[in-house]
Amino acid sequence: MHGRVKVKSTAQQEEEKRKEREKKLKVYISLRDACFNKRKDGVFDEEALQLTQQLLSSNPDFATLWNYRREILLHLEKEREKEEVQKVYEAELAFLESCLKVNPKSYGSWHHRGWVSSRLPQPDWNRELGLCDRCLSLDDRNFHCWDYRRMVVKASGVSVDQELQFTDRLIGSNFSNYSSWHYRSTLLPLLHPSQPPSPCHQPPVASPTNSPQTHSHRVCEEQLLKEYELVQNAFFTDPNDQSAWFYYRWLLGRAEREEMISCVYVSREGERVAVAFSRPVHAPSVGLILVLDGQPQQVEWKSSHPRLRHSPVWICELPPGSVSDINNEHNLTVHWSEKHTHRDCALYTGRTESWCRDSATDQELFRSELSVEKTSVLQSELQSCTQLLELEPQNKWCLLTIILLMRALDPLGYERETLAHFNTLKEVDSMRSSYYNDLCSKFMIENTILKMEYAEVRVFSLSDKNLTSLCHLDQLLLVTHINLSSNRLLRLPPQFAMLQCVEVLEAEDNTIESLEGLYHLPSLQEVSLRNNQITKLADLEPLASCPKLTRLDLRGNPITETENVEAEIVKLLPSVTDLLL
Amino acid sequence: MGTQVKDVIIKPDAPTTLLLDKHADYIAAYGSKKDDYEYTLSEYLRMSGIYWGLTVMDLMGQLGRMNRDEIIEFIKSCQHECGGISASIGHDPHLLYTLSAVQILTLYDCVNVIDVDKVVEYVRALQQEDGSFAGDKWGEIDTRFSFCAVATLALLGRLDAINVDKAVEFVLSCMNFDGGFGCRPGSESHAGQIYCCTGFLSVTGQLHQVNADLLGWWLCERQLPSGGLNGRPEKLPDVCYSWWVLASLKIIGRIHWIDKMKLRMFILACQDEETGGFADRPGDMVDPFHTLFGVAGLSLLGDEQIKAVNPVFCMPEDVLQRIGLQPELLS
Ligand SMILES: [Zn+2]
Repeated sequence: MHGRVKVKSTAQQEEEKRKEREKKLKVYISLRDACFNKRKDGVFDEEALQLTQQLLSSNPDFATLWNYRREILLHLEKEREKEEVQKVYEAELAFLESCLKVNPKSYGSWHHRGWVSSRLPQPDWNRELGLCDRCLSLDDRNFHCWDYRRMVVKASGVSVDQELQFTDRLIGSNFSNYSSWHYRSTLLPLLHPSQPPSPCHQPPVASPTNSPQTHSHRVCEEQLLKEYELVQNAFFTDPNDQSAWFYYRWLLGRAEREEMISCVYVSREGERVAVAFSRPVHAPSVGLILVLDGQPQQVEWKSSHPRLRHSPVWICELPPGSVSDINNEHNLTVHWSEKHTHRDCALYTGRTESWCRDSATDQELFRSELSVEKTSVLQSELQSCTQLLELEPQNKWCLLTIILLMRALDPLGYERETLAHFNTLKEVDSMRSSYYNDLCSKFMIENTILKMEYAEVRVFSLSDKNLTSLCHLDQLLLVTHINLSSNRLLRLPPQFAMLQCVEVLEAEDNTIESLEGLYHLPSLQEVSLRNNQITKLADLEPLASCPKLTRLDLRGNPITETENVEAEIVKLLPSVTDLLL
Repeated sequence: MGTQVKDVIIKPDAPTTLLLDKHADYIAAYGSKKDDYEYTLSEYLRMSGIYWGLTVMDLMGQLGRMNRDEIIEFIKSCQHECGGISASIGHDPHLLYTLSAVQILTLYDCVNVIDVDKVVEYVRALQQEDGSFAGDKWGEIDTRFSFCAVATLALLGRLDAINVDKAVEFVLSCMNFDGGFGCRPGSESHAGQIYCCTGFLSVTGQLHQVNADLLGWWLCERQLPSGGLNGRPEKLPDVCYSWWVLASLKIIGRIHWIDKMKLRMFILACQDEETGGFADRPGDMVDPFHTLFGVAGLSLLGDEQIKAVNPVFCMPEDVLQRIGLQPELLS
């Protein structure tokens, strides 16, 4: 069904073809029925092997016939002497090799080869590696063969080091080989983990079962520097080869974030606690315990928004009266028992709210998109890429990598240059301009968070920056004033409900259609949505869950054209006293 | 110096409008030439073939033209003692065809014509200790089968029959440096596999475990100058990969990262104006498989002549609404 070019033919040619197909069909059906009948009769003999072989050599996807062959082979295994069995299986491997030559991408053939290899009394793994080498020399991207190779490597105990050398060879002969770079990404963390896993110095055996979840999946610094050099060679040789650039971005990636409670916030008046985690969780099932003044509390954890089953921010109500007296001091602890971690928070006398947290700057959250600390190395990487860009000013891969390097080195210092590079990127690769817009928005949000942290304020102001999407909203849990005016936002997503302290929202001059995220924001008082795309009363419904909302500016929205709209809004949002239409 | 971008050139006379009637005629006629050689050769995947045909007919509002009773009888005769369902009579049961059969019966709103409990038991028994699923009793492991298992059970409302946590753990262990997924732990990322794994994580409500920005970047880089999408770096564009990439992007909330207009033009150019149907690439032979994924792709791109398609199950949204199934999508 793939790659069959349609050819025009005459009526006579058609007729000839039809006759030929008719003949082929008869042969095929009689063979198929012969196989099915033999199987039904419980016959497991050489003749059945012959018959299925005829069909499978041209149609290796006929899975049931491989099953039948396996039944026959198992039967012969029981009946015959060990040496004979070895011969039968060797013959099977020879047959399979001929199948794979004709059709190297058949799931059925490869799986059957693995099955045969695992049953062979005396397996010859070197022969299997040789087969993989030959197959990959014909098509170095055949993922079936790569997978089979990994199985052979695992079964025969080939060392990780040998396999890494294998990728060295392949990459050396052709840099443009995504499969080899991929394989390296699975091998390197095993051979050169970022943290020594154990004192034992046994060479590890290739076991591709190590996942990013169970392993740090990062590479130690020394090896990382060598890899930079290798990849640089690759993209200097062929700057348009995406494989090397993808790999390079992975090398530049940061280590996984430590799992922790990043913030605990308590409001005295609201009798409410909000907790931020370093990753989205489903709080009711991770063993969350809230202790107030030494007493574990029975509380109900609510996600910041019902659409987010897994959320980085969770909220709970405290028992009525438990913290409301301003003359009392209280001590709160939230335990994340599954991860054996916790965070304390003290609510002092006279204070209406309190929090305890590691800020984005404390955690080096955005700066360390890179795990390497050696600024000088990154600096020289940046220089090399800049040189390459002079030769290839339109090269999008190089532009994007320069942006990533600049962010790793000094996100605020390079802000202007980053923005300029984004503009070039959108020109040279306009197909992906939405991706670049969203990525640029992300970086602008990160920079604004950094500036806010350095200034130690709770005001987030990012207007007139072509923002197309919002992210990192869990980092804005404590923000009271947010200004997103004059951007290109389409919506305030459910994640916006993580801004548990927000009082004033300015989002004028966007194209916002959906206010889904303005949901249960206990402190929200003023919302300015002037000149947006709010069209229906239903679009405003989330706001009905914000009890303190008093001022709402909807001027310049299509909704203002609706008949009787004022009365409807007043009915929907009775707390609003200052409605601008 | 420099890699040539592998791509196709769309000829100026390639179709630019959607030929829905022709496609419906093509699919309606496809099943009627049962003594055709090519048709017989594809018997080993017949059940999926019927699913492709029926789904695309339903998306085009033409399901009524297919022979419902005959198809239902056929499915009943393909359920085996073990509960599993085979591609055709005389073939062995497999998760691939069990899912196709359950999808067809869900389209026809009659899953109870087969022994549902036995299907559930069949799927459950194929789960391995590490959480993975074998495709059948012969033990081939693949994340495609993880998807088939949970999709089948979700359509039957029986996800609780398996160890979902373990199943999730296995799929996540197949995640790669580029944010994508392969067949097994250590396997290279591939758009078809990414579709299965993001679909799996959607059905099991675990999409927050995906690195959506990284994966979305890899996926949108599949779009080539012709507008078509390939399934891996340095491969040719293809209508079926266009679906798998597009559906994955939809599932992780990043569908706007590709150029929708250009993709639409590519898919339309893969139509055969004479016979109806879609091919993998402009000028190739059409088949029901690419016809479904062409039409479903256009639906995801917002074509209003086609019913809305669900990106996870590749079935009409109205069908899933009827059974109350709403798989998670990232926003
Ligand atoms: Zn295809």
